[in-house]
Amino acid sequence: MKRSRNVSLVILGAAAFGLAACQQEEQTDAAAFPDVESCIAASAQGGWFTKEDCQTTFAEAKAVHAETAPRYESRELCEQEHGAGACGADSVQGSGGGGGGIFLPLLAGYMLGQVLGGGRAMAQPVVPKAGGGFATPSGGTQVSRLNSTGKMSTSAFTKAPATVGKPPMTRAAVASRGGFGGSAAARSVGG
Amino acid sequence: MDRIALPERPEWRAKAEELGFTFADMHGEPYWDETSAYAFTLEEVESRIEDPCTELHAMCREAVDAIVADEALMERMGLPRVRWDFIAQSWAEGAPEVYGRFDLAYDGTGPAKLLEYNADTPTSLYESASFQWLWFEDQVTARVLPDGADQFNRIHEALVERFAEIFAPDTDLHFAAMTGAPEDYATVETMAWAAREAGMGAHYTDLESIGISEEGQFTDAEDRVIGTLFKLYPWEDLFADDFAAHLATAQCQFIEPAWKALLSNKAILPVLWQIFPGHPNLLPAFFADDTKGLADAAHLMLAGHVTKPLFSREGASVTITAQGRVLERAANRDYDRHPMIVQAYHPLPVLGGMRPVIGAWVVGQTCVGMGVREDAALITQDLSRFKPHFIEG
Repeated sequence: MKRSRNVSLVILGAAAFGLAACQQEEQTDAAAFPDVESCIAASAQGGWFTKEDCQTTFAEAKAVHAETAPRYESRELCEQEHGAGACGADSVQGSGGGGGGIFLPLLAGYMLGQVLGGGRAMAQPVVPKAGGGFATPSGGTQVSRLNSTGKMSTSAFTKAPATVGKPPMTRAAVASRGGFGGSAAARSVGG
Repeated sequence: MDRIALPERPEWRAKAEELGFTFADMHGEPYWDETSAYAFTLEEVESRIEDPCTELHAMCREAVDAIVADEALMERMGLPRVRWDFIAQSWAEGAPEVYGRFDLAYDGTGPAKLLEYNADTPTSLYESASFQWLWFEDQVTARVLPDGADQFNRIHEALVERFAEIFAPDTDLHFAAMTGAPEDYATVETMAWAAREAGMGAHYTDLESIGISEEGQFTDAEDRVIGTLFKLYPWEDLFADDFAAHLATAQCQFIEPAWKALLSNKAILPVLWQIFPGHPNLLPAFFADDTKGLADAAHLMLAGHVTKPLFSREGASVTITAQGRVLERAANRDYDRHPMIVQAYHPLPVLGGMRPVIGAWVVGQTCVGMGVREDAALITQDLSRFKPHFIEG
């Protein structure tokens, strides 16, 4: 016989890798909204989250955003990463900002996730990405659009390291990612 | 070889959708097409495709050995001089290869002729290894194909074996592709499934998300260090990217290894012809500026010649000329600025109005399977169709 006895039926684009693919990451119900009103409207349709969940997670997402949003030394650098008009001066107390020297992407919305086994819903803020879409402050989880629901790895709700009170990222720090891919001649590079 | 009309599986589109094979139709045209299939005899698969391709890969390894030892040849490969040592070192260290795909012109009578070697970033792995295999199993079950039929397709098993051979159990491997290209992602994911089955930890990262740590190692989107990187992204592009300077020092093992840049390169075609002149599976080939070589070989190119850039994908910037007339010129000219080679024109056979190219898969150093792509045009481009094949019982 000149063929494989068995071929695992590869399911493309499913949770095969997941984002992280750390063995058997738990998946949970998640939803993303631009603001608390959209969340409350969706909660009225029934589902796993309530109006109260919308409110508490939004408050938490705002706080997490203030604490962990990526901070940049210039508006230009911030907009390069997050898009034109997507950044504002840092006004968080104790951040070292306020003098106009630190910029961070504005809160574009938030995600909430169901805790397996019950408990208070998890929250994460999302910020815009240059070129479209949204991401958590760590950049580890991306959502293409808000007002959406689906399954998500529970690790998507892991809080990013605090940036508040830390020196902002310089151009050199930002350049430490994204050094591959610039030379691709076409959309599909394979042959 | 024959092209035989067969009934389609009634549910195949639903099945494709369920499996996430979203590009079974592309640009509004079918890409996966099972309204007919290519039939081969066992003898021709073994003696015309399998054994010659295992031999071709061995010849390619000999050619790499010759190139890294010869600056004049290295100069011909169109790769930046500052990366030559890195390439040579990957060869000297014996950095292992995982896979590649020979594209062959085969008309069912004479020997198969090597058109080019996709040795670095071959795609259509999912269609070849998985969906084609499923087609075969389904069609045998449905009695569309006879019990004694077979398929030359050990690709998946061979990949699993290859990963287990190269890496210790539980090694963490990273797999990267450019975002937003489902065909590329399918190949990467198929590869990662094989790695998982071989007992490896397989992690995906978008190529653009790769970072560099303070210690100079590559990191994934979550700042985990990348020890081994399968990258579905050509070496010549990696060499031109901002991170190129880190490639040699990042303590990262690459799949495919850097020496594959010498094979996934049309410059290998004249080099092979130079080392193995007259080999039955090679077409005469020369560098475009080798006027003496071309003049001396005029009698070998009576059917015409094909001009190809050193680096191009999916037929881009290829021109076919015969009797002083352009027969066909690829519309995509993205690679026109690259140095060119000239290869003797070997027309593809025409079956049912279509011209098939055989894609013969090499895993490790052995040819283990095949797939067929066909196109109505003379140059197989990105609108070609993937066709299943079987071996007659």
